[in-house]
Amino acid sequence: MGAVVEIENLVKRYKELIALDHLNLTVEEGEVFGLLGPNGSGKTTAINCILALLYFDKGSVKVFGEEIQPDSYGIKRQIGVVLQNVAVFEELTVQENIDYFCGLYVKDKKLRRQYVEEAMEFTGIEDFRKFYPKKLSGGLLRRLNIACGISHKPRLIIMDEPTVAVDPQSRNRILEGIQELNRKGATIIYTSHYMEEVEQICSQIAILDKGRCIASGTGEELKAMIKIGEKIHIEAAKLQPFQLEEIKELRHVYQVEYREGMLEIRCDGGKHNLVHILDYFGKREIGFGRVYSELPTLNDVFLEITGKELRDSAEGAM
Amino acid sequence: MQVFNAFFKVLNKNKGQLVLYVVIYLSITLLMGNMAQDNEEQVFSGVSLDIGVENEDQGMLGEALVEYLNGSHNLRGIPDNKEKLQDAMYYGEMDYVLEIPKDFSEKFKNEEREGLLEGTIVPGSNSAYLIENEIEGFLKTAAMYLSAGFGMEEAVSRTAEDMEQEGHVEFLEGDDGNLPAGYYFFQYIPYVFITMMILGVGVVVKTFQNKDLSDRNKCSAMPFLKQNLQILLGCFSYMAAVYVIFMLMIGCCMAGYLFTIQGFLSAVNAFLFAVCALSFSWFTAQLAKNVAILNAISNVFGLGFSFLGGVFVPLEVMGDQAKKMAKYVPSYWYVIANHDIQKVAGLSDAGDVYQSFLMVLVFAFAFLALGLVVNRMKIRGR
Repeated sequence: MGAVVEIENLVKRYKELIALDHLNLTVEEGEVFGLLGPNGSGKTTAINCILALLYFDKGSVKVFGEEIQPDSYGIKRQIGVVLQNVAVFEELTVQENIDYFCGLYVKDKKLRRQYVEEAMEFTGIEDFRKFYPKKLSGGLLRRLNIACGISHKPRLIIMDEPTVAVDPQSRNRILEGIQELNRKGATIIYTSHYMEEVEQICSQIAILDKGRCIASGTGEELKAMIKIGEKIHIEAAKLQPFQLEEIKELRHVYQVEYREGMLEIRCDGGKHNLVHILDYFGKREIGFGRVYSELPTLNDVFLEITGKELRDSAEGAM
Repeated sequence: MQVFNAFFKVLNKNKGQLVLYVVIYLSITLLMGNMAQDNEEQVFSGVSLDIGVENEDQGMLGEALVEYLNGSHNLRGIPDNKEKLQDAMYYGEMDYVLEIPKDFSEKFKNEEREGLLEGTIVPGSNSAYLIENEIEGFLKTAAMYLSAGFGMEEAVSRTAEDMEQEGHVEFLEGDDGNLPAGYYFFQYIPYVFITMMILGVGVVVKTFQNKDLSDRNKCSAMPFLKQNLQILLGCFSYMAAVYVIFMLMIGCCMAGYLFTIQGFLSAVNAFLFAVCALSFSWFTAQLAKNVAILNAISNVFGLGFSFLGGVFVPLEVMGDQAKKMAKYVPSYWYVIANHDIQKVAGLSDAGDVYQSFLMVLVFAFAFLALGLVVNRMKIRGR
């Protein structure tokens, strides 16, 4: 397996603002590659550079081993695109829209008809083929957008936040579809600021912030990079400061926070942490309510690396 | 031909509005064409009436008055009895009966003028008032000379001379009274062409220029140049279709006109204006941010160019300042050409018309160039 996309030292400026700051990424064939980052982190700018929609200031972008240019039509033929905003003709029906976009890649009418049918079936919109986009729900519209992007059976599919403003049912359908496309051999680059989605479907993840790749690897590798191994939450009333200090002294516990009756304990790995903590509560005869334990998320990774929440750092897309 | 086909599918969704403008155009032209035919004789001529005259005057004034009336009306004798006279007036054989008494000249000279002349009119007849006005005018002139000290012979002679002077009547639109109905079919084309091009081509181009769609198309395997060429082909095909439809409509209503030298030149004029309207619509599509603004532009410029260019309001009634401004809109040159075409006897005789054609083409190129500049600026801004 070789590299499908190679980005080296990519720099893109919008006047004073640096949208991409020496970005380096490599996407291998057969991967579902997740680009994760808050709004404004440079995900869409990176995608637009890969697609030669934007001129960049420095660096190089290679797709299938060749430098991508606006007129690299041979390379573009192998790329499927699902842009962040739904890009379909309001005046064309669902079927006509898919046929239009498929026709930009596939000249053979018979083959195209087959591809259009398959795309509609794959995205589950065949019952809406005669509908105009205005009549479709947000979820169906997103699915139409995907169908338009994948109908010509590309080797590389680039999806820029395809599940924004989509209902859970459509979201699940879309995510399952992406995994199915990957199983059929397509390499997928998937951008999102929904970490759960990225964790669910991506085999490789790169976390972007301020135009830089701050971490990359598999989900497990990323989580292994950070100190936190487990988060334990205990509902407990009236804990004394000395008790908090004692909890902090327990093995593997490195951070304790007590707010509004809820205790959050962070542990740096180790086993049976919850047992040890509850044992302490028993010995001290401290009453408690709900108890649950969480493994670290990509948000924790982002938080630990950047010092800010992934969800809360939205500042407008680039 | 994916893009070309999509062009017409998008256009097809707007066909309702386009058909509406065809109907508006047809209504205006048929109405104006009919009105023009109803008023074909617009050359001014005085009204000639039938007057029964009995002149018993033995002086010069009565005779001069009869001679004056005879110059513009039909004079005849009065029936010998009252019943026949009433019948003649009742059946419209006479519009007015004038009786000049025996000592008319003498009494007039002596200023005994009250009730001197006796006229009989058909009740409610406007014609009678016209004759009475003429008689009154003649007598007032004679009275003026007499009171100025001229003798009767001199006064009568000068009065007759004065009354021979005729007012000059000139129609503001020159010889429009003789313009064929085909002229009116072509006269209103600028309005409908501008509107239909903006609403047709402009709206479709705007759709393709939508940022998301444009980006999506640029990501595809079809060369961008090829996409643009297909859009361009769509624009020209639409323009040609609109032109052919209008020529067919004119051909159906005014086939005779279309196959004359005037018809041929008018058709060329309309074609060049269609090219100009197409270029203008492309330019406006670059400027407008969305289709709603484009609709507003189509109304403003469709009507603005038409009123200022003399499509709806004849150039002759426009002020000098307005005419100066009108020269900066293409419809002015179209209207001028359409007017001049009616005076052309042959193709070699149409120098002024060709000049106007050229002006319309200059506008077409100017709009195209401006559109390209705006388009380039937008691309550079990305």
